[in-house]
Amino acid sequence: MSPQRRHRSGVALAITSGLVMTLAACSAPASADDQSYASWDEVVAAAEGQTVKLWMYGGDEQGNAYVNDVLVPAAAELGVTLEQVPIADTPDALNRILSEVQAGETDGEVDLVWVNGNNFGTGKEAGAWECGWTDLLPNMALTDPADPLLLDDFGTPVDGCEAPWHKAQFTFVYNSDTVTDVPTSLDELLDWARANQGRFTYPAPPDFTGSVFVREVLYSVSGGYENVPLAFSQDDFDALTPALYAELQDLEPSLWRGGETYPQDSNELNQLFADGEVDFTMTYGPATLTELVANGTYPAGTKVLTFDEGTVGNASFLGLASTSGSKAGAMVVANLALSAEQQAAKAEPDVWGQFTVLDLDQLSDEQRALFEALPESPVVPSYDVLSENANPELAAAWVTPIDEGWRQLVLTQ
Amino acid sequence: MAMLIPYGQRVTPDDRTVSSRGLMRPRPGGRALRLTVAALLTVWFALPLVPLLLWFFADRWSVPAALPTEWGFDGVTSALANGAVPAFGRSLVLALVVAAIATPIGAMAARALTRGAVPFPRLVSGILLAPLALPAFVAVMGLTIVLLRARVPGVVGVVILLVAAALPYTVYTMRVAYAAHDLAYEDEARTLGASRWHVLWRVHLPLVAPGLARAAFLAFLVGWSDYVITVLVGGGTIVTLPLLVASFAAGVGNDAVVAVLSVSAIVPPLVLLLALGRFGRRYPTASYLHGPTASQSPKGSP
Repeated sequence: MSPQRRHRSGVALAITSGLVMTLAACSAPASADDQSYASWDEVVAAAEGQTVKLWMYGGDEQGNAYVNDVLVPAAAELGVTLEQVPIADTPDALNRILSEVQAGETDGEVDLVWVNGNNFGTGKEAGAWECGWTDLLPNMALTDPADPLLLDDFGTPVDGCEAPWHKAQFTFVYNSDTVTDVPTSLDELLDWARANQGRFTYPAPPDFTGSVFVREVLYSVSGGYENVPLAFSQDDFDALTPALYAELQDLEPSLWRGGETYPQDSNELNQLFADGEVDFTMTYGPATLTELVANGTYPAGTKVLTFDEGTVGNASFLGLASTSGSKAGAMVVANLALSAEQQAAKAEPDVWGQFTVLDLDQLSDEQRALFEALPESPVVPSYDVLSENANPELAAAWVTPIDEGWRQLVLTQ
Repeated sequence: MAMLIPYGQRVTPDDRTVSSRGLMRPRPGGRALRLTVAALLTVWFALPLVPLLLWFFADRWSVPAALPTEWGFDGVTSALANGAVPAFGRSLVLALVVAAIATPIGAMAARALTRGAVPFPRLVSGILLAPLALPAFVAVMGLTIVLLRARVPGVVGVVILLVAAALPYTVYTMRVAYAAHDLAYEDEARTLGASRWHVLWRVHLPLVAPGLARAAFLAFLVGWSDYVITVLVGGGTIVTLPLLVASFAAGVGNDAVVAVLSVSAIVPPLVLLLALGRFGRRYPTASYLHGPTASQSPKGSP
């Protein structure tokens, strides 16, 4: 599950970035020099009694329940009051931080944000994040220092501006009661869609999920992700995308409603799948599938598709706002969220089912036992299986041109 | 109203005098048509609420079932667990405060404009209506920074901006009310020796009460339904009902919770609308206009 969604955000971010560029000249963000800490002990001492606001997408009930019922009490034991601010859309939090940056606020209303990808990259450019603080966190030692997913966030270097929280794997989901000849690669999936008219579709980019699907197709028509440079260049774009758009134009008549209309966002596609209108959906949060099948939202035959060539994987993080007045408290919460106990509790399918960012090889036997005790889901295979051959995410600079090309060449043709 | 009124005749436009005028007399067939249109409109507005009410009590409702497949209160439980009650309270207080501030300001502005006591009335009207033309998001982005620099607390900032957003509605509604308002009643009362306050409380306010109620209702709705201003300016300090609805509606499989939250979001405006119906009749308290009755007649009068 990724906290980044919806296309209103693109517009909002564009406006915000414009504001920032225009106004950057007239204001210097105040440096909160009283909040720099040399050691973890100093952080813990300063955190005592602070209130930390965690702004996060609130559309995931399991996520809300985990934060409020598990993380909040654990933070309270450490003397930090954690409050969740549920928002419909992550850019709302970013816009608030950027306004505070403009105003030179040093005790802002946003402390932590559940963030990744474009929101992180835009915020980093605009000085929304406190950087270089994750080295202080003792629990960072439990992660793999060379893990590419934790070093780069959609092509933006993390630089200690955000602490890892969970991992996500882009997953195709199908209804095994209606799909008998199961595709084993993206190419086969598109052939299946052509053979079964109207039973497959994808959300229209710039929806987050639809946008990832188009990039998956780009990897596929380019003969694998190795052939697509992660950093954006116009030459690569001009060389690689014609095949992508030709493929999607060719696919269009076979889609749901003949491709005349696309689901506006991943929710609409999920709804179509739940209603049995299509046989496939796709998600960044396969962990929630178990619950959606159990409560009857999704058909009982719901299963996860695994591709030979793998799918895109990423991590999402807790960003620390540069305007926060409770930075020590926020660091304590981020460190707590990285502890083996919290990561294992969060990975429970009936809690939230989010994949851990920890490297099991770095854990003690006791800590590893917590993860080995996790129940098997009847719907979702384990993260090792899901993330096999995980493809890296393209840099954020790729996303807008690809989405725009799709709008011009696929949607309106 | 420069009509010559015979001495001793009341000028109260009550139902009997109105309906006896030729132009106002209902034509045959008009009533049936009106009722049909009203019924159709009621169905049109009520229909979308039916699935919402069904979801309220549905734990499961999978397509293609016409009715929920499993009844229960999961939605209510989730809503309560996610702080729906305090959010409802915050929304209610916020909306009432916005209505309490925006209504009198709107009324005063409208009265001044109607009486021609304002220089450049067109410009002033334009400024008062401007918030309608400006997308809330654009205005809020800039104003958040201004309010932060001015060290205005988030809650105060939200109220200020919501009042500004509600003013076009209150001003417009009150201008309509004052256009139909006859100042002669107030002059008459002053001539008879009533103090300014007395005139305001006993003559002026009762006469514009229906307009005030309508304006307050619209201002309440602005405060009750806002998302953008509450998030960005409030900075998460006030989690209101629309924030909960928006974040749940952004996810999948939350239909029951969204239904519960939405239904509870419809209730207060509905209650107010019904209350409006009572205020909608003119002169609810203006009994003093009906002349002295036997019980109130001073001693010694015939």
